[in-house]
Amino acid sequence: MSNDYLLDKHILLVDDEQELLDMVHSILDEYGFHHINTAKSIEEAIVQAKKSPPELAILDVMLSDGSGFDLMEQLKMNGDYPILFLTARGEDDDKFRGFGLGADDYIVKPFLPKELVFRVMAILRRSYKGDNPLVQLKYSQIDFSRAEVIKNNEHIPLTAKEHDLLSALYRNAGRIVTIDALCEAAWGNNPFGYENSLMAHIRRIREKIEKNPSQPISLVTIKGLGYKLNVEGK
Amino acid sequence: MKSVPKLIRRFVGILLLSSILIVIINVIAFVALMASKIPDENTSPYSIAKETGTALKATDSGNYMLSEDISARLAENDIWAILIEDDSRKVVWKTENVPATIPNDYTLSDIANLSVGYLDSYPTYTGKHENGIVVLGFPQKSFWKHIQPSWDYSLIADLPKTVLTVLFINVALILAIYVIANIKLLKSIKPITKGIQDLSAGACVHVSEKGLLSEISANINCTSDILQKQQEQLRKKETARANWIAGVSHDIRTPLSMVMGYAEQLENSPNLSGTERQKAFVIVKQSKRMKNLISNLNLASKLEYDMQPLVKKQENAVAIVRQVVVDFMNMDIDDRFPMKWNTDEKLTVCNISVDKNLLKRAISNLIQNSISHNENGCTIYVSVVADNNKCIICVEDNGIGASDEQIKKLNHAPHYMVCDTNTTEQRHGLGLLIVKQIVNGHGGTVTIDHSKYGGFKVALMIPQ
Repeated sequence: MSNDYLLDKHILLVDDEQELLDMVHSILDEYGFHHINTAKSIEEAIVQAKKSPPELAILDVMLSDGSGFDLMEQLKMNGDYPILFLTARGEDDDKFRGFGLGADDYIVKPFLPKELVFRVMAILRRSYKGDNPLVQLKYSQIDFSRAEVIKNNEHIPLTAKEHDLLSALYRNAGRIVTIDALCEAAWGNNPFGYENSLMAHIRRIREKIEKNPSQPISLVTIKGLGYKLNVEGK
Repeated sequence: MKSVPKLIRRFVGILLLSSILIVIINVIAFVALMASKIPDENTSPYSIAKETGTALKATDSGNYMLSEDISARLAENDIWAILIEDDSRKVVWKTENVPATIPNDYTLSDIANLSVGYLDSYPTYTGKHENGIVVLGFPQKSFWKHIQPSWDYSLIADLPKTVLTVLFINVALILAIYVIANIKLLKSIKPITKGIQDLSAGACVHVSEKGLLSEISANINCTSDILQKQQEQLRKKETARANWIAGVSHDIRTPLSMVMGYAEQLENSPNLSGTERQKAFVIVKQSKRMKNLISNLNLASKLEYDMQPLVKKQENAVAIVRQVVVDFMNMDIDDRFPMKWNTDEKLTVCNISVDKNLLKRAISNLIQNSISHNENGCTIYVSVVADNNKCIICVEDNGIGASDEQIKKLNHAPHYMVCDTNTTEQRHGLGLLIVKQIVNGHGGTVTIDHSKYGGFKVALMIPQ
């Protein structure tokens, strides 16, 4: 599945330092984002957000006229879109506060452009499923909205647990997801002792999505650590 | 304070013991004195009177005759004697030294009186005689006689009880006097002992400067003020230092973002030549080093000055380590640093009480160390072992490793940041220092060694 539609999303950048704004703008622009608005203060950001509502906001924590957390609260009142924080403060309480209020992710400065782009794409993918709900795998497609797999023109339904596991893997497509994170996604907090169940579920998912389940290509095992979902076109 | 009641008990004990001792000594002295003054059998007036009665013999001529030795004894002691006849109650014999004031006729009541008391102020004693009664008159003021030696019967019968009661009342009285006298002293000692105790605990102390020991109280207050001032200064200094480091590392982050951001864009720019892109690559690489340094510097100073409290919870160490390893694997795009998970597949849970974020940081630092010190790439082996109530986390590589001497230094020499002497050789990074600080904070140990894979090995032992 192509992610090109995500590049059309409107992004609001807020930082009180013009040079940093320029740099982030140029990073995103180079990657292919062309609908970017910038603001240097809370006041300016609110005006911008009202004029053209963004689909993602990237906020600095420390702004000249207040904190990025306050800005987030005001933005959230006028629209529901993901928020990514840029912070020069690596302290944990700030991070947790950000998540507690509904921030979607944060990046501690200094950061590399590819890290920023990766996070932005991950958040957008999570928040905007796109018009084409089909996730393209090597031998099949997943339709999360219908909870089914399409293989050889055959529609195979997914169970609730299989859906949860595939969603968690898809959110991190191309990256390893640990056994513990998958158990937590399927069985909630305190996911101890579900390793064998997880293996059984993975086997059943493979039967649905792979051509040869014993030699998986789309859903691969990273021994002892976790699993990785390989998606086509990424 | 436990020693104050002990002190009081000891003082009261000494007091009671000394009172009892004094009473005993007095009784002994009294008895001895009495014993020395009580006349013995031979010299007692009663026996002399009795002997005189026996020794006075009637002669054939109707007169009386006293034996020589008794006569001499009476004369020697200035004792006079008379014999009063039974029937006539008249004096029928007398010694020569009988004073003139002594009458010659007696009534029965006179005799009854003189037998227990005095005759004309002479203490008198009587002896039995076949014809009457012998009366001996001792010199005036030689004896003191009880004329009416009669007491209520119960007084004598209850004497032991009475004596004990009196003794008990005396002791109680002495105790009461002592306690009252000491309450004031104790009142002023108590806040002082508490003050000294609090002082040793590092608390701020203010003792009331009144009472007997006001001078000591004032000194304690003064000491407390000095200690508090010093503590405050030390705390201020440490906070200032930690804040300074936090401030610097914070302020460097934004400019460094721009350096890193543009350098990476240049590195990937198709418009630049290969050498120019190589230069940009070096800038990115060195910026990453600076990034690691500032974040380590801040955490190391916070851990050193106890400004980073550990938030411990029961966590599964296997899951934490697994997550860190996976994060690195997900970042390592060009696969120059493959990672091997060497944990026994059966070990899925190893619960330890840890600060999850700090443990993650420690393991990240170890993996980052292997990456930083092996520019040409290496395989990194990570394992978790549960062993007898402890969890051993091991990170090793097959890279360039370190010499025996370097390993010895890393294990034993203090880092320059936490060393109060001037060391120039211990200039290695902060990564390992932070690992040690974090593991020590959890009561564990860090062991650095050669790896069996040929490179460097660090084992963290954390108690459960």
